[in-house]
Amino acid sequence: MSELVLERHFPAAPDRVFAFISKTEHLLKWWGPESMTVPEHDLAFDRLGPWFSVMVNAQGDRYKVSGQVTHVDAPHSVGFTWAWHDEDDVRGVESHVTIKLVPAQKGGTDFTLTHVDLPSDDVAANHQQGWTSSLRKLEALAI
Amino acid sequence: MNENNMPKLTDLFAALGDPVRFAITERLLRDGAQSAGDLRDVAEISAPAISRHLKVLRSAGVISQTIDKQRRIYAVNPASVGSIRAWIDSHEAFWASSLDRLATALQEDKPDE
Repeated sequence: MSELVLERHFPAAPDRVFAFISKTEHLLKWWGPESMTVPEHDLAFDRLGPWFSVMVNAQGDRYKVSGQVTHVDAPHSVGFTWAWHDEDDVRGVESHVTIKLVPAQKGGTDFTLTHVDLPSDDVAANHQQGWTSSLRKLEALAI
Repeated sequence: MNENNMPKLTDLFAALGDPVRFAITERLLRDGAQSAGDLRDVAEISAPAISRHLKVLRSAGVISQTIDKQRRIYAVNPASVGSIRAWIDSHEAFWASSLDRLATALQEDKPDE
Protein backbone atom coordinates (compact mmCIF):
# COMPACT_ATOMS: atom_id res chain seq x y z
CA MET A 1 0.00 0.00 0.00
CA SER A 2 1.53 3.22 -1.15
CA GLU A 3 1.07 6.38 0.85
CA LEU A 4 1.89 10.01 0.24
CA VAL A 5 1.62 12.52 3.11
CA LEU A 6 2.06 16.27 2.66
CA GLU A 7 1.92 18.71 5.58
CA ARG A 8 1.61 22.48 5.40
CA HIS A 9 0.89 25.38 7.71
CA PHE A 10 -1.31 28.23 6.53
CA PRO A 11 -1.74 31.55 8.41
CA ALA A 12 -5.48 31.62 7.57
CA ALA A 13 -8.06 30.20 10.00
CA PRO A 14 -9.52 26.69 9.41
CA ASP A 15 -12.88 28.09 8.21
CA ARG A 16 -11.17 30.05 5.46
CA VAL A 17 -8.83 27.21 4.47
CA PHE A 18 -11.80 24.85 4.38
CA ALA A 19 -13.58 27.14 1.92
CA PHE A 20 -10.50 27.03 -0.30
CA ILE A 21 -10.29 23.25 -0.33
CA SER A 22 -14.01 22.62 -0.78
CA LYS A 23 -15.69 25.28 -2.93
CA THR A 24 -15.42 25.33 -6.71
CA GLU A 25 -14.58 29.01 -7.11
CA HIS A 26 -11.67 28.66 -4.69
CA LEU A 27 -10.45 25.22 -5.84
CA LEU A 28 -10.05 26.57 -9.37
CA LYS A 29 -7.52 29.13 -8.08
CA TRP A 30 -5.02 26.43 -7.16
CA TRP A 31 -6.03 23.05 -8.61
CA GLY A 32 -3.17 21.50 -10.61
CA PRO A 33 0.31 22.65 -11.58
CA GLU A 34 0.81 26.34 -12.43
CA SER A 35 1.19 25.76 -16.16
CA MET A 36 -2.13 23.94 -16.52
CA THR A 37 -5.67 25.12 -17.10
CA VAL A 38 -8.84 23.33 -15.99
CA PRO A 39 -11.29 23.85 -18.88
CA GLU A 40 -13.73 21.11 -17.81
CA HIS A 41 -14.65 20.27 -14.25
CA ASP A 42 -17.20 19.32 -11.65
CA LEU A 43 -14.94 20.20 -8.79
CA ALA A 44 -16.40 20.68 -5.31
CA PHE A 45 -15.63 18.92 -2.06
CA ASP A 46 -18.38 20.57 -0.01
CA ARG A 47 -20.89 17.87 -0.96
CA LEU A 48 -20.89 14.09 -1.44
CA GLY A 49 -21.00 12.53 -4.89
CA PRO A 50 -18.98 12.46 -8.10
CA TRP A 51 -16.30 14.97 -9.10
CA PHE A 52 -13.91 15.28 -12.02
CA SER A 53 -11.43 17.68 -13.56
CA VAL A 54 -9.71 17.85 -16.93
CA MET A 55 -6.35 19.63 -16.88
CA VAL A 56 -4.68 20.80 -20.06
CA ASN A 57 -1.03 21.79 -20.39
CA ALA A 58 0.55 24.29 -22.78
CA GLN A 59 1.05 21.54 -25.40
CA GLY A 60 -2.68 20.74 -25.30
CA ASP A 61 -2.27 17.37 -23.54
CA ARG A 62 -5.35 16.48 -21.49
CA TYR A 63 -5.17 14.88 -18.05
CA LYS A 64 -8.48 13.77 -16.60
CA VAL A 65 -8.93 12.69 -13.00
CA SER A 66 -12.20 11.72 -11.33
CA GLY A 67 -13.70 10.20 -8.21
CA GLN A 68 -16.37 10.38 -5.54
CA VAL A 69 -16.46 12.69 -2.55
CA THR A 70 -16.72 10.25 0.37
CA HIS A 71 -16.96 12.55 3.36
CA VAL A 72 -17.34 16.24 4.20
CA ASP A 73 -16.83 17.43 7.76
CA ALA A 74 -16.58 21.23 7.74
CA PRO A 75 -14.23 22.77 8.72
CA HIS A 76 -12.19 19.70 9.71
CA SER A 77 -11.77 17.31 6.80
CA VAL A 78 -12.82 16.11 3.38
CA GLY A 79 -12.22 12.76 1.69
CA PHE A 80 -12.51 11.75 -1.93
CA THR A 81 -11.49 8.93 -4.25
CA TRP A 82 -9.14 9.61 -7.12
CA ALA A 83 -8.15 7.96 -10.40
CA TRP A 84 -6.43 9.20 -13.54
CA HIS A 85 -8.07 8.41 -16.88
CA ASP A 86 -5.97 7.22 -19.82
CA GLU A 87 -6.11 8.55 -23.42
CA ASP A 88 -9.17 6.38 -24.11
CA ASP A 89 -10.91 7.78 -21.01
CA VAL A 90 -10.52 4.45 -19.19
CA ARG A 91 -10.31 5.06 -15.47
CA GLY A 92 -7.13 3.71 -13.85
CA VAL A 93 -6.17 2.53 -10.37
CA GLU A 94 -8.32 4.11 -7.68
CA SER A 95 -6.74 5.81 -4.71
CA HIS A 96 -8.08 7.87 -1.81
CA VAL A 97 -7.31 11.42 -0.70
CA THR A 98 -7.99 12.85 2.76
CA ILE A 99 -7.39 16.47 3.74
CA LYS A 100 -7.39 17.31 7.45
CA LEU A 101 -7.38 20.78 8.99
CA VAL A 102 -6.47 21.42 12.62
CA PRO A 103 -6.28 24.84 14.33
CA ALA A 104 -2.58 25.48 14.91
CA GLN A 105 -1.42 26.35 18.42
CA LYS A 106 0.26 29.52 17.24
CA GLY A 107 -2.69 30.51 15.06
CA GLY A 108 -3.60 29.58 11.53
CA THR A 109 -4.19 26.06 10.28
CA ASP A 110 -2.17 22.86 10.19
CA PHE A 111 -2.98 21.12 6.93
CA THR A 112 -2.36 17.42 6.21
CA LEU A 113 -3.05 15.74 2.89
CA THR A 114 -2.86 11.95 2.72
CA HIS A 115 -3.06 10.15 -0.60
CA VAL A 116 -3.13 6.36 -0.34
CA ASP A 117 -3.44 3.65 -2.92
CA LEU A 118 -6.38 1.29 -2.49
CA PRO A 119 -5.39 -2.36 -2.90
CA SER A 120 -7.71 -4.60 -4.93
CA ASP A 121 -8.36 -6.82 -1.91
CA ASP A 122 -7.56 -7.00 1.78
CA VAL A 123 -4.28 -8.86 1.38
CA ALA A 124 -2.21 -5.71 1.24
CA ALA A 125 -4.35 -3.96 3.84
CA ASN A 126 -3.50 -6.66 6.37
CA HIS A 127 0.11 -5.66 6.08
CA GLN A 128 -0.43 -1.97 5.73
CA GLN A 129 1.55 -1.16 8.84
CA GLY A 130 5.11 -0.31 8.00
CA TRP A 131 4.36 -0.54 4.32
CA THR A 132 5.47 2.96 3.47
CA SER A 133 8.88 2.68 5.08
CA SER A 134 9.36 -0.72 3.49
CA LEU A 135 8.46 0.75 0.15
CA ARG A 136 11.02 3.51 0.53
CA LYS A 137 13.59 0.86 1.32
CA LEU A 138 12.68 -1.08 -1.79
CA GLU A 139 12.97 2.02 -3.91
CA ALA A 140 16.34 2.91 -2.42
CA LEU A 141 17.63 -0.56 -3.24
CA ALA A 142 16.32 -0.35 -6.79
CA ILE A 143 18.15 2.82 -7.72
CA MET B 1 -0.17 9.48 -16.91
CA ASN B 2 -0.89 5.77 -17.13
CA GLU B 3 1.68 3.36 -18.52
CA ASN B 4 -0.26 0.50 -19.98
CA ASN B 5 2.75 -1.79 -20.36
CA MET B 6 3.52 -1.57 -16.66
CA PRO B 7 2.33 -4.20 -14.19
CA LYS B 8 -0.94 -3.33 -12.47
CA LEU B 9 -0.28 -1.49 -9.25
CA THR B 10 -3.03 -3.26 -7.35
CA ASP B 11 -1.49 -6.64 -8.28
CA LEU B 12 1.94 -5.44 -7.17
CA PHE B 13 0.67 -4.20 -3.84
CA ALA B 14 -1.32 -7.37 -3.19
CA ALA B 15 1.72 -9.55 -4.01
CA LEU B 16 4.14 -7.47 -1.93
CA GLY B 17 1.74 -7.31 1.01
CA ASP B 18 2.94 -10.74 2.17
CA PRO B 19 6.03 -10.59 4.43
CA VAL B 20 7.74 -13.60 2.79
CA ARG B 21 7.17 -12.28 -0.71
CA PHE B 22 8.39 -8.85 0.38
CA ALA B 23 11.54 -10.46 1.83
CA ILE B 24 12.15 -12.40 -1.40
CA THR B 25 11.78 -9.21 -3.44
CA GLU B 26 14.07 -7.31 -1.13
CA ARG B 27 16.71 -10.05 -1.36
CA LEU B 28 16.57 -10.06 -5.17
CA LEU B 29 16.88 -6.27 -5.27
CA ARG B 30 19.83 -6.26 -2.89
CA ASP B 31 21.78 -9.28 -4.11
CA GLY B 32 20.64 -9.56 -7.71
CA ALA B 33 19.23 -12.60 -9.55
CA GLN B 34 19.06 -15.87 -7.62
CA SER B 35 17.75 -19.42 -7.96
CA ALA B 36 14.94 -20.83 -5.80
CA GLY B 37 17.63 -22.76 -3.90
CA ASP B 38 19.53 -19.56 -3.11
CA LEU B 39 16.31 -18.08 -1.71
CA ARG B 40 15.70 -21.01 0.65
CA ASP B 41 16.93 -19.18 3.75
CA VAL B 42 14.74 -16.08 3.23
CA ALA B 43 12.15 -17.54 5.58
CA GLU B 44 11.68 -20.70 7.59
CA ILE B 45 9.30 -22.33 5.16
CA SER B 46 9.44 -25.32 2.85
CA ALA B 47 10.78 -25.34 -0.69
CA PRO B 48 7.29 -25.87 -2.15
CA ALA B 49 6.08 -22.84 -0.15
CA ILE B 50 8.90 -20.72 -1.60
CA SER B 51 7.89 -21.91 -5.06
CA ARG B 52 4.31 -20.85 -4.48
CA HIS B 53 5.41 -17.39 -3.37
CA LEU B 54 7.67 -17.08 -6.43
CA LYS B 55 4.71 -18.00 -8.63
CA VAL B 56 2.54 -15.27 -7.08
CA LEU B 57 5.33 -12.71 -7.53
CA ARG B 58 5.75 -13.74 -11.18
CA SER B 59 2.07 -13.54 -12.05
CA ALA B 60 1.85 -10.07 -10.48
CA GLY B 61 4.83 -8.93 -12.58
CA VAL B 62 7.07 -8.24 -9.58
CA ILE B 63 9.75 -10.71 -10.70
CA SER B 64 10.68 -12.56 -13.87
CA GLN B 65 12.16 -16.02 -14.40
CA THR B 66 14.89 -17.19 -16.76
CA ILE B 67 16.33 -20.69 -17.24
CA ASP B 68 20.08 -21.18 -16.91
CA LYS B 69 21.39 -24.75 -17.35
CA GLN B 70 18.07 -26.18 -16.12
CA ARG B 71 18.11 -23.87 -13.08
CA ARG B 72 15.35 -21.32 -12.71
CA ILE B 73 16.79 -17.90 -11.98
CA TYR B 74 14.60 -15.15 -10.54
CA ALA B 75 15.12 -11.40 -10.77
CA VAL B 76 13.07 -8.31 -10.00
CA ASN B 77 11.24 -6.88 -12.98
CA PRO B 78 12.47 -3.25 -13.12
CA ALA B 79 9.08 -2.05 -14.43
CA SER B 80 7.40 -3.15 -11.20
CA VAL B 81 9.48 -0.92 -8.96
CA GLY B 82 9.30 1.77 -11.63
CA SER B 83 5.52 1.80 -11.64
CA ILE B 84 5.39 2.09 -7.85
CA ARG B 85 7.75 5.04 -8.00
CA ALA B 86 5.81 6.60 -10.88
CA TRP B 87 2.64 6.42 -8.81
CA ILE B 88 4.22 8.32 -5.93
CA ASP B 89 6.02 10.79 -8.20
CA SER B 90 2.95 11.67 -10.26
CA HIS B 91 0.84 12.42 -7.21
CA GLU B 92 3.58 14.15 -5.28
CA ALA B 93 4.19 16.45 -8.26
CA PHE B 94 0.49 17.25 -8.56
CA TRP B 95 -0.08 17.99 -4.90
CA ALA B 96 3.19 19.78 -4.17
CA SER B 97 2.65 22.29 -6.97
CA SER B 98 -1.05 22.65 -6.20
CA LEU B 99 -0.45 23.30 -2.50
CA ASP B 100 2.11 26.00 -3.33
CA ARG B 101 -0.61 27.68 -5.34
CA LEU B 102 -3.11 27.19 -2.51
CA ALA B 103 -0.74 28.99 -0.13
CA THR B 104 -0.48 31.89 -2.59
CA ALA B 105 -4.25 32.00 -3.17
CA LEU B 106 -4.88 32.13 0.59
CA GLN B 107 -2.35 34.92 0.94
CA GLU B 108 -4.08 36.98 -1.73
CA ASP B 109 -7.51 36.27 -0.25
CA LYS B 110 -9.48 39.10 1.28
CA PRO B 111 -11.71 37.58 3.97
CA ASP B 112 -14.54 40.05 3.39
CA GLU B 113 -14.68 39.87 -0.39
